[in-house]
Amino acid sequence: MDMIDRYLAAVAAQLPQDQREDITAELRDLILSRFEAREEELGRPLSEDEQEEILREIGHPLVVAARYRKGPDSLVGPELFPYWLFAVKAGLLLVLAVQAIGLFIQILTDPVDAGDAISRAIHGFIGGGLTLVGVATVIAAGLEHYNVRPRWMTHWRVKDLGAFGLSDPAAWGAAAAGKPEAKAVWAPKASVGGWPGGERLFSLLVTGVFVLWWVGALHFPGLMEFPLRGADATVSGAPVWTALHGFILVYALGCMAVDLVGLARPAATRLLGAGRAALAAAGLWLTWAIFEAGHWFTLKRDGETARIAGDWSMLDLQTLRSLGDSGRELAGVAENLSIVAVWVLAMMAVGLMFQLLGGLWKLARG
Amino acid sequence: MAVDPDLFESMKLELRRGSLVLAVLACLRTERYGYTLRQALAADGLEMEESTLYPLLRRLESQGLLDSEWREEEKRKKRFYRLSPAGTAMLAALIDEWRGINASLDKLL
Repeated sequence: MDMIDRYLAAVAAQLPQDQREDITAELRDLILSRFEAREEELGRPLSEDEQEEILREIGHPLVVAARYRKGPDSLVGPELFPYWLFAVKAGLLLVLAVQAIGLFIQILTDPVDAGDAISRAIHGFIGGGLTLVGVATVIAAGLEHYNVRPRWMTHWRVKDLGAFGLSDPAAWGAAAAGKPEAKAVWAPKASVGGWPGGERLFSLLVTGVFVLWWVGALHFPGLMEFPLRGADATVSGAPVWTALHGFILVYALGCMAVDLVGLARPAATRLLGAGRAALAAAGLWLTWAIFEAGHWFTLKRDGETARIAGDWSMLDLQTLRSLGDSGRELAGVAENLSIVAVWVLAMMAVGLMFQLLGGLWKLARG
Repeated sequence: MAVDPDLFESMKLELRRGSLVLAVLACLRTERYGYTLRQALAADGLEMEESTLYPLLRRLESQGLLDSEWREEEKRKKRFYRLSPAGTAMLAALIDEWRGINASLDKLL
């Protein structure tokens, strides 16, 4: 096999089978024409080095073959790139926020192991961030390959653009500091009519990350363990999460479906109202089922275990005031987290009731 | 002030990119194969890399703007391209567009 054959074989291997013969025949003619022209110019046959130089001028086989490829030249083209970049920036900030909150809780529960906690948080951020970039790239490449452009990309409205500030770290910093200019952007407006598309996009992103984590496709290393008094404490879910695993997954997918409908058909107020009302009712049932189980997590450390559990009797201000009084041993931490869990579930239930009423209102009024 | 040569090169390439299809279609009013087409374009000051030209010829053919035929010449089989009827109509439309852009630019420059 001579140099031209080897070059053309490398090109052919990258081409669709039905076009290989035709394209390589044409390239062979081009190469031979270039060789002949150069030989005529020099008045002698070309050396191997000179031939190779001409092949290099024609291009690397991968590049030459890629030019013949039908479809997009890049995983994320210039049209989709700004959306990809936003998703990655906002998602990374979200992963950073999750890790920062986890780190904060870990340092509060055991300041002695702060160094270890910081190292876990950095590891978690890098792992979560790389997964997020990979997932965003796969989705964008799919949209690019099939030339799909969701309606919210082509029919966007100015009133839906608020949440795009999510990818700006300065906005997060200003919001965290409670600056007036941040409040002007983030605080709810009195004249809001319907759910803005930006919020739906953000909600879709967050729920998508949750679903990936829930089904085990996304991992946040260190999420279910934390250092406590010099030893690693682990958090394991109570049986209620296994029993409700499928229901929670369906609920989260339902939330994503409603967000997608909201993005694709923002004017379908009644449909969206019905969807949100149904989701709120399902969410209330799930919250009730989780609450009724009474046992949500188990903490383990050095063979010692403590349950994060609770009931209706803990929903009083006296119990809330006792938060933090239980010490920093495993049982004390579990007791504090039990109070937090009871109140979080109660607040979720109240929020879902408002969502149910809001959904029903939109369903009735359109 | 001196012109940044790298920036100039990149802007020049951008400026030329859109005109290459027009040049190729215009050149193929006369039947040619890839190598002679490239030479003809170069002779008129439009250098074009083979790795750009050959895939472009296939794309234009798949869009129905060119016809092609394998024939033997100088003891080798070569693929000859020429404008199809649809290509002739497209070239006329693009020439009108090009002249319109030129006239607008002339007013500005």
